[in-house]
Amino acid sequence: MKRVIILLLAMFFVFVGQTVLANDVSKGISVGNAGSFTGDAAAPCMEIFNSSQLAVDEWNARGGINGVQIKHVMGDDALDPAQGINVARKFTSDKTMYGVVGPPVSHIAQASLKIYGQSNLACITTAASKPELTESGYKHFFRVNARNDAHGWNSALFIKNNLKAKKVAILNEKVAYCENMAQQTIKGLKKLGITDVMRDTIVAGSKDYSSVLTKVKAYKPDVLFFIATTAPDQAIGVRQAKELGIDAIFFGTEGARDKKDFIEASEGAAQGAYVYHFGPDIYSIKEAENYVKKYEDKYGSLSGFGPPAYEAMNILLTAIDMAAKDGEISRKEVISKLAAIKDYKGILGFPVSFDEKGDLLGGATYFFKVNGKDFEQVAVLTGK
Amino acid sequence: MEDILGQLAQQAVNGITIGGVYALIAIGYTMVYGVLSMLNFAHGEIYMVGGFVGWWVLQIFSVNHVPVMNAALLISFMIVLSMGISALLGFLIERIAYRPLRNAPRMNLLLSSFGVSIFIQNFVLYFQGAKVKVFHISHLIPEGLRVFHIGGVVISFMRILVIVTCFICMVVLTLIIKKTNIGKSIRATAQDIEAAAFMGINTDKIIVIVFLIGSALGGAAGILVSLLFTQVDYYVGFQAGIKGFTAAVLGGIGSIPGAMAGGILLGLCEAMAVTFFPSAYKDVVAFVILIAVLIFRPQGLMGEKIREKV
Repeated sequence: MKRVIILLLAMFFVFVGQTVLANDVSKGISVGNAGSFTGDAAAPCMEIFNSSQLAVDEWNARGGINGVQIKHVMGDDALDPAQGINVARKFTSDKTMYGVVGPPVSHIAQASLKIYGQSNLACITTAASKPELTESGYKHFFRVNARNDAHGWNSALFIKNNLKAKKVAILNEKVAYCENMAQQTIKGLKKLGITDVMRDTIVAGSKDYSSVLTKVKAYKPDVLFFIATTAPDQAIGVRQAKELGIDAIFFGTEGARDKKDFIEASEGAAQGAYVYHFGPDIYSIKEAENYVKKYEDKYGSLSGFGPPAYEAMNILLTAIDMAAKDGEISRKEVISKLAAIKDYKGILGFPVSFDEKGDLLGGATYFFKVNGKDFEQVAVLTGK
Repeated sequence: MEDILGQLAQQAVNGITIGGVYALIAIGYTMVYGVLSMLNFAHGEIYMVGGFVGWWVLQIFSVNHVPVMNAALLISFMIVLSMGISALLGFLIERIAYRPLRNAPRMNLLLSSFGVSIFIQNFVLYFQGAKVKVFHISHLIPEGLRVFHIGGVVISFMRILVIVTCFICMVVLTLIIKKTNIGKSIRATAQDIEAAAFMGINTDKIIVIVFLIGSALGGAAGILVSLLFTQVDYYVGFQAGIKGFTAAVLGGIGSIPGAMAGGILLGLCEAMAVTFFPSAYKDVVAFVILIAVLIFRPQGLMGEKIREKV
């Protein structure tokens, strides 16, 4: 008798467990935001969070999804892959969560995507650009930014055609995004006939790059491509390069597009330096005016990380909204609706569609020059 | 060939600067080991706190990154206050975390020092945040004085400041140890703490003095590096601690001149290694040298061989 009761109870729980897969919308809808909200990448990540928050607030002001107010949950990984995994566990175990914006850092995405995938929780990154992330066969992962292979090729084009370099030094950090970006750029440079390339590595946060920069100085390159994740490290790089009297053009990566931590922190050394970024100069796009005004009124000045996050959150909520039309919603449904998004017209100045891997179709790379206290967009390259 | 020589000269400047800093940190390790035979792994955090104190001094005494007082005075004030607060911190650590364990097994002291290290790191993280603090130093040094060119070698004002300050600290310390009564007592305590106590030396007081001196030098190292590289964050103490400890072992732990030599040698080796190997191997080269020294001279470069007493 006892055994029968246990068996019946077990069957009951299995049954209940299965019905949980398709949830009633009225139980609540939340979306996660995974990122490095403390640590050296805190400034760009907070911009991502705040921009997503704006999008959520707008949806809630319009009445939410099916009359349910959306909850926006922050998951901080402090730029540490191990913490990123904890965030993924926390998010996937939240029964009312149907999608996540992030993680924005490649090596943290690499560590945690599998966990999101196991419970079919959709993720849209706004900045992680390592190509392998979408090459692993994940169905739940999308990005609104271009991949490193596109950035690497575009950067190679920029180095050759715009900066007119013949001799290039590349320094990269030993983490997924930087390592990969260096490889892709060198591949591109070779294709363009530039083989006079020196490559060496730096250690993030070590604060002393003078010995490796001394080596760069002896190599006498035309361009120094400094591939580091965070703006403070690039500020030290440009400062120590100037101090050593390296007259090569300093070319930094997307992390350096930060007025405070790069331009201001380098105290003039960054003047005339270039950086690339996956996001356009948002001030030049008409559709974005409303967003820019709202953001600046509430949170202060914008760099380039906010707009893609606003776009990503809107796309995610659109997908959730479509999935929730019938009053019931499941995580799998959200993923299939996301994959079906075609030509979403938001604020980025180009229509967003995903290919079958979850990558952005036709991504561009934007190039900026440091002019005084601000960045000035000098070129947009799309692989040609 | 000339290129390589020029590069090596520049690397020597880079190496001596950072080596001087390693030496200052190593002295703290070696002095504490000398009197207590323990490794004070919280020493790296004292270095970090030194950097933060300097940042706050600079922050308080400047408006829009322009200092409100004479720059030389401000820099000296930063260094002195960093040393003072670091010394105070060292004193507190000894009092709270080490003295109650004086007669406990050595392992307990070691664990206690790890605990202190984690505590200080997280304390600073909590109150100061994880974000890098930037030193805006361009108004501290007049335009024409920022870098000097000697032949093909570039040397910045801050590097000269670091090298000179390290040198002064080491000379003053050597004089204290060699010429004063306190120095004599420290040497006696390091040689044999019980015998020193029999001779009427207040060894508790000597241990406090050792912590004060070691921590002050650690704090000086912290502020000097922060001024040189213009940034400090809560995590810098870890790596600095490892490097300082390595330098102390390289020179012979317990020996003050050894710590000085070990620090400068370690800095030079690291910088030179980058010339010939990819820079990712910088630390590998440094530690291979350490292992080689330990195999062929287990007592370190200047350490004394301790004979087992029968």
